[in-house]
Amino acid sequence: MTATRLDVPARPRTWPRTVAIAGAIIVITLLTTLPALGGVEIDLGAIARNWGNGADRIAKLMRPDLSILPRTWQPLLETLEMALVAAAISAAFAIPLSLWAARPTNPNAPFRVAVRSVLNIIRAVPDLVYATILVAMVGVGALPGVITLVLFDLGIVVKLVSEAIDSADAAYIEAGRAAGGTQTQINRVTALPQTWPVFASQVLYSLELNVRVSAILGLVGAGGMGRLIDEVRGFYRYDALATIILELLVVVIAIEITSNVLRKRLR
Amino acid sequence: MSAHALGAEAGGAPSASASWPVELKDVTVRYPNGVVALKGVSVRIEPGEIVAVVGLSGSGKSTLIRTINGLVPVTEGTVTVGDHVVSELRGRALRELRGHVGMIFQAFNLADRASVFHNVLVGRFAHTPTWRTLIGAASPRDREVVMRALDSVGMLEKVWGRAGALSGGQKQRVAIARALSQEPSVMLADEPVASLDPPTAHSVMRDLERINQERGLTVLVNLHLMDLARQYTTRMIGLRQGELVYDGPAADATDADFEAIYGRPIQPRDRLDR
Ligand SMILES: Nc1ncnc2c1ncn2[C@@H]1O[C@H](COP(=O)(O)OP(=O)(O)OP(=O)(O)O)[C@@H](O)[C@H]1O
Ligand SMILES: [Mg+2]
Repeated sequence: MTATRLDVPARPRTWPRTVAIAGAIIVITLLTTLPALGGVEIDLGAIARNWGNGADRIAKLMRPDLSILPRTWQPLLETLEMALVAAAISAAFAIPLSLWAARPTNPNAPFRVAVRSVLNIIRAVPDLVYATILVAMVGVGALPGVITLVLFDLGIVVKLVSEAIDSADAAYIEAGRAAGGTQTQINRVTALPQTWPVFASQVLYSLELNVRVSAILGLVGAGGMGRLIDEVRGFYRYDALATIILELLVVVIAIEITSNVLRKRLR
Repeated sequence: MSAHALGAEAGGAPSASASWPVELKDVTVRYPNGVVALKGVSVRIEPGEIVAVVGLSGSGKSTLIRTINGLVPVTEGTVTVGDHVVSELRGRALRELRGHVGMIFQAFNLADRASVFHNVLVGRFAHTPTWRTLIGAASPRDREVVMRALDSVGMLEKVWGRAGALSGGQKQRVAIARALSQEPSVMLADEPVASLDPPTAHSVMRDLERINQERGLTVLVNLHLMDLARQYTTRMIGLRQGELVYDGPAADATDADFEAIYGRPIQPRDRLDR
């Protein structure tokens, strides 16, 4: 066998593109921080000047006051309940919405665009805005928190799941169509089990996010740990705040580990 | 091989409905991007025939087969299946017609994460009201038809397994069971063995041959391998650049006929068994 030289095609040059992209990022960053252009002011001096103010708070944060713990159980439980209930409700709505928002599972373009638009709007509104409005509408407590979380979760889960459906191979849908099935039949019997792992994984992810987000929602009166955080912060009890933050950290990590384990099993 | 005995014959189960003729009259298909995939094709296939459609890649084989169940709409001409004119059908009527026409694909087109049972249940869609599918309760009869279809291709023991866990040949058998559970009058197969190794390809072709012989189903199968066409089908249609260039008994087709269809000399890759 003679070793003939292979006629390998020239590799396309990609570095000019890389340089151009990097250059564009640098230029945009510089422009946005130029005060002359009304850019974001990044004043490193301010950090140094105000360091003294923060330092004693940080010192307090380093010495958590555990005596607050008994008072945290009730709000913590409420936060967890809110997170779980909201994840479950949003999951129920997200199943049909995800299928309607993806092209292979909903070929009806106007319908699909309508579903997507509504979800884009839901996602565009910040969660604190929902919470504030809902607290004003239905009063202080867990209910406005749960509704806020449901909207927040729907935005995330439907977007991620429908994008997963859009990018997945959908040849089985053609087979369902060739067999004379309606889109609803095809979605129910084949698209649903096909999408299930992605779906369950995103719902677990939304559960994780809910615990974090609901801690914040309490700041505007939407129940859970946030209300306690708001209270102790109001009294400058940073040592008690430290305990609450640590507690939340433990809970969030525990949920993350659990959901990671569950997610691995889904594959 | 009792597991391979056709379920329809064994045990008074529902047998296939009467087989139907297929007729194309001056069919032209132009895709939205301007490609003309079929040019004035006319052909009539009698009930119970098993016909190979051969031609090079891009000659329009898939397009021809897809006009028969309306997956590809015709630009000009008419396609008649049984006594239905496919291009006149919309919505429910089109779905009903598709229910009478089984189809098998090169890539199997199974939902890998769904069970074998649910994949075959797809074949019952046209016979099932949507609400019943939605609540997830297959009727006893649908269940029976699915099980018999799986049994007839020797895949019954895998009924509760995931479709994605099967080998290529097993997947194609499940896909055949899906088409059979429609209790179709016509069976279409688009390169059903192109993704399979030679022994598996032969056994899948034998399944198709058996369906034709035992159920009397009209079968149209796209093939690009000349020996498979000769061995398993009785009639051969040749396509070249969207035009019908050959129509005759498959067994009599000579290498010269294939060269005329392909427009080039025969190559080793035109045969399965080299
Ligand atoms: N959806 C489509 N849109 C546009 N053009 C298409 C489409 N499907 C097929 N074509 C074109 O139509 C022609 C015939 O394609 P077709 O798939 O029917 O050929 P084929 O004989 O099945 O080929 P192969 O053996 O590769 O499957 C080709 O030129 C192809 O590029
Ligand atoms: Mg093809």
